[in-house]
Amino acid sequence: MPILDVQDLTVRYSRTGPEILKGVSLQVDAGDFCAVIGPSGAGKSTLIRCINRLVEPISGRILLYGEDVTTMPTRRLRETRRHIGMIFQEFNLVNRMSVMDNVLSGRLGSVGTMRSLFKLFSREDIERALTLLDRVGLSDHVDKRADQLSGGQRQRVGIARALMQDPKLLLVDEPTSSLDPKIAREVMTLIRDVAREFNVPALVNIHDVQLATEFCNKIIGLQGGVKMFDGPTEKLDRKMLETIYAMEVL
Amino acid sequence: MAVASISSNRPFDHRIFAVEHQRRRARWRSAAIAGTVTLLAAICLYNILVIDTDWERMGSLGEVLTSIGRFLAVDFELIPHLVEPIIETLMMSALGTALGAILCIPVIWLGALNITPSRWIGYPIGRMMMTLSRSIHEIVWALVFVSAVGLGSLAGILALAMRSIGFIAKIIAEAIENVDPKPIEAIRAVGGNRLQVLRYGIVPQVLPVAIGVIIFEWDINIRRSAVMGLVGAGGLGLTFHRQMVMFNYPGVTTVILAILLLIILGEALSYYARKAVI
Repeated sequence: MPILDVQDLTVRYSRTGPEILKGVSLQVDAGDFCAVIGPSGAGKSTLIRCINRLVEPISGRILLYGEDVTTMPTRRLRETRRHIGMIFQEFNLVNRMSVMDNVLSGRLGSVGTMRSLFKLFSREDIERALTLLDRVGLSDHVDKRADQLSGGQRQRVGIARALMQDPKLLLVDEPTSSLDPKIAREVMTLIRDVAREFNVPALVNIHDVQLATEFCNKIIGLQGGVKMFDGPTEKLDRKMLETIYAMEVL
Repeated sequence: MAVASISSNRPFDHRIFAVEHQRRRARWRSAAIAGTVTLLAAICLYNILVIDTDWERMGSLGEVLTSIGRFLAVDFELIPHLVEPIIETLMMSALGTALGAILCIPVIWLGALNITPSRWIGYPIGRMMMTLSRSIHEIVWALVFVSAVGLGSLAGILALAMRSIGFIAKIIAEAIENVDPKPIEAIRAVGGNRLQVLRYGIVPQVLPVAIGVIIFEWDINIRRSAVMGLVGAGGLGLTFHRQMVMFNYPGVTTVILAILLLIILGEALSYYARKAVI
């Protein structure tokens, strides 16, 4: 059974608006590091946000470990989100909070509301956060404010926050688009390595084909809300890329 | 045909006439407006100044100047008695602002569009409370509370709190409406509930604005609390009122100078407080 099984997903932002996704289906298996590629406006971000229902689809099913996410009541949805780590293009950190607090906020779904309002995290949580910050290479920045860090460092905080959730699935939305090429490569390497270490499958939006083919074992190509390609990286050829991007690929 | 109509003057004459007519009408309209305004001003002047003023009691220009001159002195004996009212005024302004800051929390919750529990009922109520608080003068609020809880500082504190809610709530609610949505998305994605989104996604973003506006409001409340006593709500204003009814004109001047001093002090205090926080 695949870990994530998306079936015939359709999304529209308003009742009369255009369809952003037109019946997209895909599967993510254990051990997959799966890229979603496609030009801007293809629906990559929408697709990834549907999976934890930050965006509500209008039809289709999203089965996570066999359970349908689309029909979950709010409480169950929050419990499910707790197990889905998300890494964002613009890091989405709380800038005025410390690096430590940002990483700990990954545990919000599991901490009682009253405790979390006063930032009362358990000793184990703090220990785990420190271990993760060591792993992503930010041991020296624990007490800094998030907005004092560079772009690459902020994304590392974002990665640590996602891992803090002990996720069963990683959703990664354009993790490198706000970074320069060298840092982008470092960050991609880090995400792939931790996904392996923590044995968690990942679905990665990325428009950089070079990075996608280099890091991912499986690729899904989107164009205009329609899936054009779905297969192992080796099967993606130039002709297919030209179709996906509807242009000459260098 | 086309050439003939261009060379002919007649349609052009018609347009000149239309323009002139328009300008004549505009002139008449201006004259009518000016005339009406002058007439209304004259009626107001006559009714308020000429009829209402007690010209006989005012006497000559010399007497008016003498009356004003009576204020040009300082009553040094009063100064020791001002220390307590000054402290009371400062405390009243601080407590009033603090109470206002606490009371405005539910108003903000109702009146910020992106966190309001209901767009159609809660939001208009929140906005209305903000407007109500600001549109009623602090002296009027003080009169209301003096009659509710009696003379003294408590009435002043409550009045300042009510008057402060509107401004503090409005600025903070607008800051909340303009927060960066990205951290909020992240908190929702880890499974955070509404309260956690508020605590982690919104509060850190608006905290500097909130502290800034509260200090600013406190600065204004120092001024307001200095006149609260005029209606019996404690502080320096009460001393001012007493000197006035005792016809101790140098004493009145002394109190005014004390108020001035207090306001300068408050200005300096709030300047450093703002600097320390932001």
